[in-house]
Amino acid sequence: MAYRVIVIEDDPVMLEEIVAVLRRSPDFEVASTYKQAHAAINPSAMFQPNLFLMNVDNEEMLDMVPDFVDRFPKAYILGMMNQWDPLVAQRVAQGGGTGCILKPFTAKDILEHLQVYASRGKNKPAKLISFFSPKGRAGRTTLAAILALLIAEKTGERVALIDADLQFGDLPIFFDLEPKRTVIDATQDIRLLTPVTFAPYFYPIKKGVSLLSSPDRPEYAELVTPEGLVEVVMMTGNIFRYVLVDLPSGFNPLALNICRISNLVFITTMINSGFEIKHARKAMDMFAQQDDGRRKVHAVFTRVNPFTEENRKKISEQLGYPVDYMIPNEYKMISVANSGRLAQGLPKDTLLMQTISGMADKIIAAKE
Amino acid sequence: MAVETANSLERSSVIISVFSTTPGIGKTIIAINLAAGLAHEGYKVCLCDLDLQFGDVLNYLKITSETELTSEKTVAGAQRYLLDHPNKFNIKDFLIDYTQGNVTFSILPAPLYVFDAYQIDVQIISNIIGRLNFFDYIILDLNSMFSALNLEMLDISTVINYVGVIDFLPALKNYKVGYDTLIRFEYEESKIRLVENRADSQKLIEGRDVEKLLGEPFYHRLPNDYPSVNKSINSGQPLMFAAPDSKLTKSFDELVGLYTNRPKSVLQGEGQTSSSGGLFSKIKSWFGF
Repeated sequence: MAYRVIVIEDDPVMLEEIVAVLRRSPDFEVASTYKQAHAAINPSAMFQPNLFLMNVDNEEMLDMVPDFVDRFPKAYILGMMNQWDPLVAQRVAQGGGTGCILKPFTAKDILEHLQVYASRGKNKPAKLISFFSPKGRAGRTTLAAILALLIAEKTGERVALIDADLQFGDLPIFFDLEPKRTVIDATQDIRLLTPVTFAPYFYPIKKGVSLLSSPDRPEYAELVTPEGLVEVVMMTGNIFRYVLVDLPSGFNPLALNICRISNLVFITTMINSGFEIKHARKAMDMFAQQDDGRRKVHAVFTRVNPFTEENRKKISEQLGYPVDYMIPNEYKMISVANSGRLAQGLPKDTLLMQTISGMADKIIAAKE
Repeated sequence: MAVETANSLERSSVIISVFSTTPGIGKTIIAINLAAGLAHEGYKVCLCDLDLQFGDVLNYLKITSETELTSEKTVAGAQRYLLDHPNKFNIKDFLIDYTQGNVTFSILPAPLYVFDAYQIDVQIISNIIGRLNFFDYIILDLNSMFSALNLEMLDISTVINYVGVIDFLPALKNYKVGYDTLIRFEYEESKIRLVENRADSQKLIEGRDVEKLLGEPFYHRLPNDYPSVNKSINSGQPLMFAAPDSKLTKSFDELVGLYTNRPKSVLQGEGQTSSSGGLFSKIKSWFGF
């Protein structure tokens, strides 16, 4: 069945081109065209359209995306852009639109975009979640990996894991992958990429979960600029509903930039000598100074022993902040990660998995 | 030991950097005990905490009193003063002395605040380390990254005490990747000293397999001795005081002996047998070995 399309484009030459492309394809049927969004919204209903193409470079059309979503909840709403603008794409997503596409495009391009957006999950902005640790060896990577698997399983939506621990990223080893494309290639190419051409940079790990890998040589890390990585993470949000980023340890421009755009930041700490709580406190202080720091930054302690509320209170007192999440130890995890079988061999019926599962539920329930 | 001369530029210190590519595997413990061991032998030693954001040297030595701890007596304070008063700068003003029994060594503490750590300039730190040349040994406690600072410090080091713990596959991967990177950066193999920490802990991967993987023998192996390390950190003392009779203390003494060319008493066995364990063949396939 062909899509019944409404095209809203204020540039007459561009409109003509788009209509010509659609008319040549058996997959599309042009129901009507408009030059302005407010002129289109009421008459469109007469044609029972199931696909809107709107020029979202035009501020009026961008503003009206939510109105079209409201009026035509079952139709796909694609924003058209001349150049990929991550902030415009984000506003389309916030308005409930299906996604964006770059002009000029072919009929095949539209179909491919619709396919990527349909498998992504709900038409809502991506949830960006980053995993920070002051010094490392905090269980950060393991936690991110397990959460990714659980969120995908629970929601049926697509989840991305980005290994931004550029020098010594461990995620490829956890999943026994030898990726040819890494986050380095992604940051270098991102300006030329669309959601459709970017998707193959991710490696499927398990149903619904894909990995953008770290490079295999530490010196490649310096090829990634913080700004480039921000663009990569934002573009990832167009393909995946959840984006989990494993950050390099400590405060550095890269980690801070990703935390800035994240909806949730987990400060992950594993207690060993005891001074880790002091470092976590320093980190929490740094984030608390930022505007939205306290709202989105959460303290997570892994391998907590004894795993009791009393201990939580004790840690909280030293930390000076509440311990938002506390995760117990599970020795089996080490051998699972060691064997590269994290995607298959999670020890399901353990307190560790139950705890992380509860954490996944909270992330899923959290407001955008 | 060298005699103090009028022109201190004539001599240069032995700089030992303690480096790893995995965090939390005992670098600070090793740095402290090297410093204490060398000081115990009568050398003048300065331990520099260059884990700028989250340094633990003062924590592990329980130097926490308000009088000793100021943001001025840190590497960040030294940098500020050197920039503001280059002519009046004396590095001794920024060092803290640690004394226990007959052992004394100096410490150049890490910045107390993350904000201070952020201001650190690599060239100035290099300059400051250069001014420590009245010490016989300078121990640099680094963090686990190939940062601009760490590379500069590895450049100026006499030897790189490259620490690995081989109990976890990602850690092994990072040890191998880090070693290959050091070689690619053209550090001489003789300058890199492979030191295995927690060498005899229960683990899936044998030390000798790791040696085959790296193509280099371990320079030294430190045994796993969690209780002694715990005692050391809890009491704020180097191992020679906190756990004088432990095997780890003895092993540190041997390592200090290697770094001071003290005659060896123990010959290390050369006999190596090949292993063909399932896990190791997997590792081999990963690294194309």
